[in-house]
Amino acid sequence: MTGVEAVRRCLPALWLVLAVGLAGCTDPPPGERALRGLPEFCQEVLPRVDAHLAGLQQPSGERYGGTAVVGWVGELVDGMNALVSADHGAAQHQTFVNLMTLIQFDEALEPRPYLAREWELSDDATRLTFHLRDDVRWHDGEPTTAHDVAFTYLRATDPATAFPNAAFWERYVAGEEGVEVLDDHTVRFHLEPHAEPLDPWRALAIMPRHLLGDVPPAELGDHPFGTRCPVGNGPFVFHEHRPDASWSFVRNPDFPEALGGPPYLDRYVYRIVPEEITLLTELLTENLDLVLTPSPDQAARIAEAEHLELLAFPFRSYLFVGWNARRPQLADARVRRALTRATNRRQVLDAVLQGYGQVANAGVPPFHWGYHSGIEDALPYDPEGARALLTEAGWVDRSGDGIRQNVDGEPLEITLTYNTGNQQRRDVAEIMQAQLREVGVAVQTQALEWAALVERVTTPGDRNFDGVVMSWVTEFKVDDRDLLHSDNADQPYGWAGVRSPGLDALLDTLQVMVDREEALPYWHRYQERVVEEQPYTYFFFPERLAGVNRRVQGVEMDARGEWVSIADWWIPAESRRGR
Amino acid sequence: MVGYIVRRLLAAIPLVLGVATIVFFVVNLAPGDPASIYSAPGVSPQAVEQMRQNMGLDRPIHERYVRWMGAMLQGDFGISFSRNQPVRDVIAQILPNTLILSASALLLAFGAGILIGVVQAVRQNTFTDGALSVGTLFFYSMPSFWLALMLILIFSLYARNVWGWPLWLPASGMVSVDHNAMGPWEQVLDRLRHLVLPSASLALVLAAGVARYMRGSMLEVIRQDYIRTARAKGLPERTVILKHAVRNALIPVVTLLGLYLPVLFSGTVVIETVFAWPGMGKLMVDSIFQRDYPVVMAGAFVFAVMVVVGNLVADLLYAAVDPRIRYE
Repeated sequence: MTGVEAVRRCLPALWLVLAVGLAGCTDPPPGERALRGLPEFCQEVLPRVDAHLAGLQQPSGERYGGTAVVGWVGELVDGMNALVSADHGAAQHQTFVNLMTLIQFDEALEPRPYLAREWELSDDATRLTFHLRDDVRWHDGEPTTAHDVAFTYLRATDPATAFPNAAFWERYVAGEEGVEVLDDHTVRFHLEPHAEPLDPWRALAIMPRHLLGDVPPAELGDHPFGTRCPVGNGPFVFHEHRPDASWSFVRNPDFPEALGGPPYLDRYVYRIVPEEITLLTELLTENLDLVLTPSPDQAARIAEAEHLELLAFPFRSYLFVGWNARRPQLADARVRRALTRATNRRQVLDAVLQGYGQVANAGVPPFHWGYHSGIEDALPYDPEGARALLTEAGWVDRSGDGIRQNVDGEPLEITLTYNTGNQQRRDVAEIMQAQLREVGVAVQTQALEWAALVERVTTPGDRNFDGVVMSWVTEFKVDDRDLLHSDNADQPYGWAGVRSPGLDALLDTLQVMVDREEALPYWHRYQERVVEEQPYTYFFFPERLAGVNRRVQGVEMDARGEWVSIADWWIPAESRRGR
Repeated sequence: MVGYIVRRLLAAIPLVLGVATIVFFVVNLAPGDPASIYSAPGVSPQAVEQMRQNMGLDRPIHERYVRWMGAMLQGDFGISFSRNQPVRDVIAQILPNTLILSASALLLAFGAGILIGVVQAVRQNTFTDGALSVGTLFFYSMPSFWLALMLILIFSLYARNVWGWPLWLPASGMVSVDHNAMGPWEQVLDRLRHLVLPSASLALVLAAGVARYMRGSMLEVIRQDYIRTARAKGLPERTVILKHAVRNALIPVVTLLGLYLPVLFSGTVVIETVFAWPGMGKLMVDSIFQRDYPVVMAGAFVFAVMVVVGNLVADLLYAAVDPRIRYE
């Protein structure tokens, strides 16, 4: 075989490989699922879902129809398995798209019925009884009952499951004694009186006992239910998951009328597009209908495109610099307050987030009922005041080099650590570095790979850092004990290591006060105390952004999340996709 | 020849196992572990410890190594921590996507590169040669992620929104959202349309390199006596170039194939991210950040095998192109 012949012979073979590769990936005919290659469990369950769906009458009306496509950077980690997942996107899909929670929050963040049509808390706040709807069925046709709720509770509180948010139920009676199934549609929980006992039931989606009841708790995490073949009971039925590429869901025609009835969209697709510029391009070229969390510098581009709308809404996260009060130079609260006062947080917010956000002073978000607007001006940008505080704390520029020293001549030096690849945190660290230099504090910045950073700050014996730029996402039920209580100073998240009995007492009290009216003054006092202690320099509560194609109507997003109104999204017939 | 192939494959076994071992220890000794992803305020350390136990991370590293190696030799790569499914399934779903992308990029790179190199050599020192030289050097020196973004800008954004071209190319994904509703041929076309930009971004940079090599090699060959002889005996120029010159000029270029394979695999990391192409490169990067040990280790293993096999294929092609080379 000569050279050219060899190449000539190889080429068709290579083309063949490519063609077969392409053909091999050709999908099943419209409406059918690809079952090939799925685990046995899925092969059994999915045909049942299809058979159930086929027997249902699709709703009709001008709003019904069309496909909406949402694009975001990340996979829905752990998929629809509510018992193991800790991912925001996945949790949103569990609670609003594929599964159901017992209750939901309304716009004012007050509980409203969902899977539970009503509930009552006994006068002594030790018994919580839910009455479930009797018209909710799993997508394979089985009814959703109180047994599913009890199953979900028992698995979530079983340590072997390793449910990440088990702390939800720390004041519920654990195990079988904690839950009673009174009848198929009534379930009762036993608990100690505490603040916001309903809160977990808005966050945790109920899971199907008839499908997962036999799975040992420790194996739930690896079960194919989560990412291969979830069977929910919510407004959308799982259709297909292409790993790292997309999730698609179709309408559940069986969704109860009393809860708004079946969703308008025929189909909803979630696409994973890891690169922000590509996401924006796909939104501008109408391949995506919604893009979540575009960066603030992309916002202007979205706002000026005629066919797009820019949404900005509050979220539960805040960015902060956590101080390590174990370090001698940061042990004094006056120094920590001075660092905050010397930083122009408003300016940082405008520079880093283009103004999309609100300056923070404590970890209680502005939409929380206990938020204290009285502390908003407690630590204004005030370099003079900062200098005075530092001098008062004994830090004076004794050597004339522009950096303050203590009586022993040790300079006031701080290292700010952040994770590599996070431009926002890097910007915050660098702006702070420049501004603190003005009041005589020498700041160095240091970037660490994420896992290495987490290990360094969360290992109680180590904590080799001065200040760390980080963000937290709080729950609606704010509980800062893990972060700020001195009992937890030697636990992974007691970064600040501030030991303040006053703060501890407030943190403990807030968690056991059932009545909000009674608790409100304590919430205010707590936030004032945080300002005083300054375990963190709180920077801002960023707003979340979303770009939405105007053809998709009814899109509302707020603190509850991006998918909260998905059942009401609709697309006028003339602007639906090609087919 | 068969004996040679068997010997090469046998020699590759310790190499691949060595790579797997090094990757195992590098990954396992890096700071942070997969359970720490779940660690957050409100999550009890006990829950994280339980998760670590469920993942088998509570055992000493040598025990984990022996267990992992033993399972791997039986074809069991374990269960992915972040995806909760057998690693074998994860890779089986993802690997074909990368193979499609790299195979098409490789074809495009060598096809275009060889063609450009030949044209340049035949038209040496003309305007065409100069223009193509500038063009290839331009692409050769360009980072592929930037090229990818420019291609998206031109062929997706501007082509559709500004210039209104009838044929614009999608900027991301392997298929359209309407893919399942299409007929079989439409589905193939849809896949090809999605393949164009990512494989072009990968291929253009490589093609530029191939073209430079091909031009040099061609210039050397067409000065040889046997080319003069071919011309002297009255063969048409076309036959002289295609049959006599290109065949011999290809020999050094074929060796590039072996060199380019690893480059191609690492190049896919960036390209897959930019074009949202669900492939091995992206899988590996995500898994490294999530400390998904089983996937990282299995991925490194698969890459090592692919590079070994790729190099073997290049060596065999070398023999096929150059009759003087015989493997015993």
